[in-house]
Amino acid sequence: MIAAILVEWWKMKRSLVTLTATALMVILLPAMGLGFFSVAQQGGTGAVADKARAMLVGEGWAGYLGAVDQIAAAAMFVGAGVVVAWMFGREHADRTFAALFALPVPRATVATAKFIVLSGWAIVLSALVAIVTTGLGLVVDVGPFAIATQGPGIVRLFGIALSTTGLALTIGWVASVGRGYLPAIGAVVLILGAAQVSVLFGTGGWFPFAVPGLLAVTGSDGIPPVNAMQIALVPLTAGLGILATVQWWRHAEVV
Amino acid sequence: MGRPGLPPVAAQELVRWFDGDRAVDGLDLDVQAGEIHAVVGLNGAGKTTLMRLLLGMLRPDAGRACVLGYDATDMPPEGWTHVGHLIETPFAYPELTVHENIAAAGLLHGLDRSRLSDAIDDAVDRFGLERWRHRRARHLSLGNRQRLGLASALMHEPSVLILDEPANALDPAGVVFIRDLLLARKEQGTAILVSSHHLDELARVADRITVMHRGGRVGMLDPSGSELEKRFFALVFEADLAQEQAR
Repeated sequence: MIAAILVEWWKMKRSLVTLTATALMVILLPAMGLGFFSVAQQGGTGAVADKARAMLVGEGWAGYLGAVDQIAAAAMFVGAGVVVAWMFGREHADRTFAALFALPVPRATVATAKFIVLSGWAIVLSALVAIVTTGLGLVVDVGPFAIATQGPGIVRLFGIALSTTGLALTIGWVASVGRGYLPAIGAVVLILGAAQVSVLFGTGGWFPFAVPGLLAVTGSDGIPPVNAMQIALVPLTAGLGILATVQWWRHAEVV
Repeated sequence: MGRPGLPPVAAQELVRWFDGDRAVDGLDLDVQAGEIHAVVGLNGAGKTTLMRLLLGMLRPDAGRACVLGYDATDMPPEGWTHVGHLIETPFAYPELTVHENIAAAGLLHGLDRSRLSDAIDDAVDRFGLERWRHRRARHLSLGNRQRLGLASALMHEPSVLILDEPANALDPAGVVFIRDLLLARKEQGTAILVSSHHLDELARVADRITVMHRGGRVGMLDPSGSELEKRFFALVFEADLAQEQAR
């Protein structure tokens, strides 16, 4: 297993896709959150200002962190989904899949190693998003800061980022079964759309991919709180996605 | 290494269907230790499918595909430490350097990490890749990617070697290099199954040449004989004629 993890780590750290997606998420998400927060605070008129105000779930740090939460719940699914799609789909697109047969390291181990490396990356990425968001808020002084007051909000951002990237691991199954990136990228878009629709129909809490987004707006008017069972569906879905992917790798043929 | 009773590579009444067509049709074939067995055939003859079956990349619909005495699909993982292969695309991740690709291949082939550094140096040297050692594989020429793939397939000194068109994209010096490489491995007792379209080249190295057509074996060519190309086409033509008459 260690051999497979090392190899997957080398591939991931050299990947332009991963580096670009990571940098974009770490830098753009806090910046976009701050942008929406600033527009809302300025009290202007127009569609953007109205939308920005509608996004805010509070004043000061609560509003700023809430804005980043909401953007992270959607954008990180896309960003992480692209990385996961690359991680699994590239073996088919680059035609390296056959080279992973007839090795003492079974394919199921290779797939598991990919998930282990991706999970580590997801944790670091989520932590970086939370840290950079906090740092940016401090630099521009979005409001009075106290760790006791803002700590839970920062932890919530980390949790939303982690659950969103965790759900994106399921894209590995689509990239494997679809044998390439494109079906997986299509699935990212479809799932994101389905999550929006499920929220509109009021059933989003039971659609695991909508749960991080709902957690991000908890406290807003008219949004029912997400219950523990609905939250539990998130790791369950990610886990099922991982299991299904590993099983596919165990039995797949080269076609 | 391996179980007694079967040669290092053995296909027995092997069958594999694809969409209603028999890609491999009841094939029997073996490769002994210290032997180079070549398979030749037109495109779509079933050579690559045969090799994929022997490497567990495909499951047979009937018959057996055995390596080192085990059915390829039931081979214990450590058994594959004795097998090297290059099927169609070389083991060459474009974002990794030549050094990193060979290291990755070594790890995945079960090389101990304490031996890895020496094994990489040796492979880089033997396969003439020193100049490109720190170049990413995406920037290599096709020929050098093929050399990298061969280095990755051979760095762990396998006792069974399965190579599909190993001279693909290689320049004349590369073709000679492959020839010498195969003969050297043969001397060391490696069982080698190789496919190629270059009949003359195969005749220089192969102990036996099997002609495949429409998934089956339609005859053998004597590597020491003359006019291989003419005899190859005669075998293919006879097979087509026999099939027409059978309809």
